[in-house]
Amino acid sequence: MEPKRYRPRLEILQGTLDMLILQTLQWGPQHGYAIGQTIRTESAESLRIETGSLYPALHRLEKQGLVKSDWRLTEQNQRAKFYRLTPKGKKQLVHERGRWSQLVSAIGTILNPKRSRS
Amino acid sequence: MNLFTWLFRRRRIERDLDAEIRTHFDMAIAERTAAGEDPNAARLAAMQEFGNALQAREEARAVWRGTAVGAVVDIWQDVRFGVRMLVKNPGFSLVVIAVLTLGIAGNAAVFSLFKGLALKPLPGVRDSASTSVLLNRTIDGRGLGISVPDYRDIAAGQQSFERLTASMMVFASLGRGVDARRVIAELVVGNYFETLGVGAQLGRTLTPSDDVAPGQHPVAVIGDSLWRRSFAADPAIVGTTIYINGQPFSVVGVAAPDFNGTIVSMGVDVFVPLMMQPQLQAPSRLDMRGVFGLTTIGYLKPGVSIDAATAEAAIFAARLEAQHPLPNLDRDFEVVPIWRSPFGAQTYWLPAIAVLGGIGLLILMVVCANVANLVLVRGAGRSGELGVRLALGASRGRLLRLLLVENLVLALPGALAGVVLASWLLPYVAAGAAASAPSRVYLDTSVDAYVLLFAIALSCACATAFGFVPALRASRVELAAALNDLSPRLASGGRLRALLVVSQVAVSLVLLIAAGLVLRSYAAAARADGGFESAQVTSIAIDLQTAGYDATRGPVAVTRLLDALSAEPALSSASLAMNVPMSLVDNASRATNVEGYAPRADEDMLFLYNVVAPQYFQTLRIPLLAGRDFTRDDDAGAPPAVIVNDTLARRFWASPENALGKRLRSGNSEWRIVVGVARDVKYSRLSEAPRPFVYYPLLQSYVPTFHIHARTDGDLNYAMRRVRGHVQALDPAIPITRSTTLTEQTRVALSVYELAAGALTMFGVMTIILAAIGIYGVIAYTVQQSTQEIGIRLAIGASREQVALKFLGRGAALAAIGAAIGVALAAVASGAIESLLYGVGARDVIAFVGATGLVMGLALLASFIPAWRASRTDPLTVLRRH
Repeated sequence: MEPKRYRPRLEILQGTLDMLILQTLQWGPQHGYAIGQTIRTESAESLRIETGSLYPALHRLEKQGLVKSDWRLTEQNQRAKFYRLTPKGKKQLVHERGRWSQLVSAIGTILNPKRSRS
Repeated sequence: MNLFTWLFRRRRIERDLDAEIRTHFDMAIAERTAAGEDPNAARLAAMQEFGNALQAREEARAVWRGTAVGAVVDIWQDVRFGVRMLVKNPGFSLVVIAVLTLGIAGNAAVFSLFKGLALKPLPGVRDSASTSVLLNRTIDGRGLGISVPDYRDIAAGQQSFERLTASMMVFASLGRGVDARRVIAELVVGNYFETLGVGAQLGRTLTPSDDVAPGQHPVAVIGDSLWRRSFAADPAIVGTTIYINGQPFSVVGVAAPDFNGTIVSMGVDVFVPLMMQPQLQAPSRLDMRGVFGLTTIGYLKPGVSIDAATAEAAIFAARLEAQHPLPNLDRDFEVVPIWRSPFGAQTYWLPAIAVLGGIGLLILMVVCANVANLVLVRGAGRSGELGVRLALGASRGRLLRLLLVENLVLALPGALAGVVLASWLLPYVAAGAAASAPSRVYLDTSVDAYVLLFAIALSCACATAFGFVPALRASRVELAAALNDLSPRLASGGRLRALLVVSQVAVSLVLLIAAGLVLRSYAAAARADGGFESAQVTSIAIDLQTAGYDATRGPVAVTRLLDALSAEPALSSASLAMNVPMSLVDNASRATNVEGYAPRADEDMLFLYNVVAPQYFQTLRIPLLAGRDFTRDDDAGAPPAVIVNDTLARRFWASPENALGKRLRSGNSEWRIVVGVARDVKYSRLSEAPRPFVYYPLLQSYVPTFHIHARTDGDLNYAMRRVRGHVQALDPAIPITRSTTLTEQTRVALSVYELAAGALTMFGVMTIILAAIGIYGVIAYTVQQSTQEIGIRLAIGASREQVALKFLGRGAALAAIGAAIGVALAAVASGAIESLLYGVGARDVIAFVGATGLVMGLALLASFIPAWRASRTDPLTVLRRH
């Protein structure tokens, strides 16, 4: 077995999963498994979401009208449910990203007071 | 969005979710296997990675909860659970559904009748419930039609109705000679079909151009049912000639299939122009202001109220009174909605339906109480389950909804089965009613959307009623106690169940007392004589007019028939009469003048009458209190004679003896001398009050249709054959329209009691059985819950009799409280059925005591079984178990 699978995972902050999903979807429609994989690989394996929480999140986004879903065939000719961003979802992503950078910079300022001051 | 799309969407969400998660696993496993992992290990790893799949699915599903789709998902779950519970407890479910089926069937049947009378009174007429009738009201409230000339004046000038039309119903003979049959004909004004919006399925309807000059329009439209019955639905019927009362009519069309004319419950067979009235039944009424034969009908203009229309009608009444005053009668016009019209079945059926409906609701209450009881008992058994649900986080509101949905799941099959049962029963009820009706009865009592909706609404109301209290109680389960199974859960439900049982006993006693009163009335009515002796007397109806006899040849035929009958050795006496006594409905009445008497302005001088041949009183054994019977000499050449009844004689001349030689007349016709006074008989119904009555001699005032009453001392069947033989011998072309005995004929007047007694007994027995089940249930349950107490009592020396008596006493106490309430209620309510009673008081002791005894006896029997079982308890077993 590969040892890296047992590397300690980073916990995802409450509320950031939705943003990550929207971010993943901005490159085009994806199905649930692919979304999970993309988040994992993009974060260089350090972020691994518990797949169980992925689906409730997707359904929550769909109910809010941020994503839409339909069943399509994958490249492997397998039927899967694809999610895509709605215009409302795109706007929401921009908004969330703005908030996220504010948060990061604010936290960064607290954690590294000298560097920021310089 | 309808329910099905909702359900469909809900299913789609669930199926999507499952498929989505499955796809996820497939992909994960495929990727790992492709990377060289062992398939089993890959599956395990994928599952580990996914985490709690069940929880994920629940959470995803929960996202949709709270939306419309989500609510449907929840309710659908409840429904499925309800159905599972129903299947799991088949005994409980079947009892509940059966009890509900009975309750709803009775109500649906009554409602179907109500629908036929009030909601769709005239089949085939659009929105027939909203038609109105303009009528003439007598001082004492009797409704009369209006005369043809009056109608013409009103129809031309009125502004309240969009259009007013009118018709006159007559019994007529269709065909000639022995083939003739009795049909109902409606003489209609030209705009009749147009006004009602009724079309023809073949040929055309009648139009105003068919109703212009008296006697000039021998055309007829026949009804669908006659077309099928008598003409085998012959498509070539249009253009053929039919004979109505011996007159040729050309058939111009067949009316729309479901149209039955405008007399509620009467199936009209043939429609002819009103202008043909003199040809069908001389003399002409077309110009007689004093003959109130027309029934009007029409739709009021939008925005015109009944009161406004009545106000306008009153103006016409005043104007007509001024221009054409009538002796003895003030015109008093009134407009009423069709359900209050006195012309048709609604007059005598709607009050009966109100009583039946009331009984139906009482029964439904008993049914609900019973089901509530069953649900309570089951609820107690389920407190464990409900406790678990609460512990798992279900809200009480959610729990309440679950229980209500479960009750609905029980109630709806009850509603459907009830409607099916009602549709099976109705033909029998209708047949019973038809047998007692004087002619073919037609009512739309079919099970349609109205009835179905009513039953479903009723069942939902029941579900809420019988489910709410128990559900509320069940949802208040004490968590810890329920889970530990230590709760004294019976004690809480005990008082409520006792209350339900008490009310059941009370209601069933009310019904049984009513049944008892009506049964005793029936017995009294069957014993009672209507003032005449009907045994050994024939009642054979013949129709001379159809056979072509006119006012000159008719009386000759009558004389020859009387000669033949009096010479017949099998008969002790024989006579003829226009109407049969105790006919259930009032027959014709005439405005009557008494010489030297000025009636008060508000006095009703319209008296019922009959036209009879000599020997009538002797044949029916009606005693003459003064004077003499009509004789063969009271013919056209003799001074006009009349016989009156006791009530009339006493009203105007103080005594029967005094009446002899006095004079009266009908309308403005010639004065007639009173030659005899006869004792009162029951002219329509056994329960009628004494009223004035006039007998005219047939030999002086000829009528073409009459009944032959012949009395025999020998075999009645032989006598009937002989009478028919004499009619045939007189002229084979004379149609015998009905051949029966007078006893059979007057049974009609008893049919009301028969029907009411049957229905009430059935309902009463039903409720007492329900009440007995209720008592049994409560006592059995108490016994079961008190086993420990019983064991201890027995162990410390109580005798088995004492134990049995204790529980028997509890049952008896419940029944006694219920019975006391029931007797009190019945004493108050029995006045409502007073009109149905004959020969017994509304507070008849025998009916009250008998019904109470029956209820108490059954109640004791119902509690005896569990009480006896309680006394059989083995104290050792019980004490060991606890």
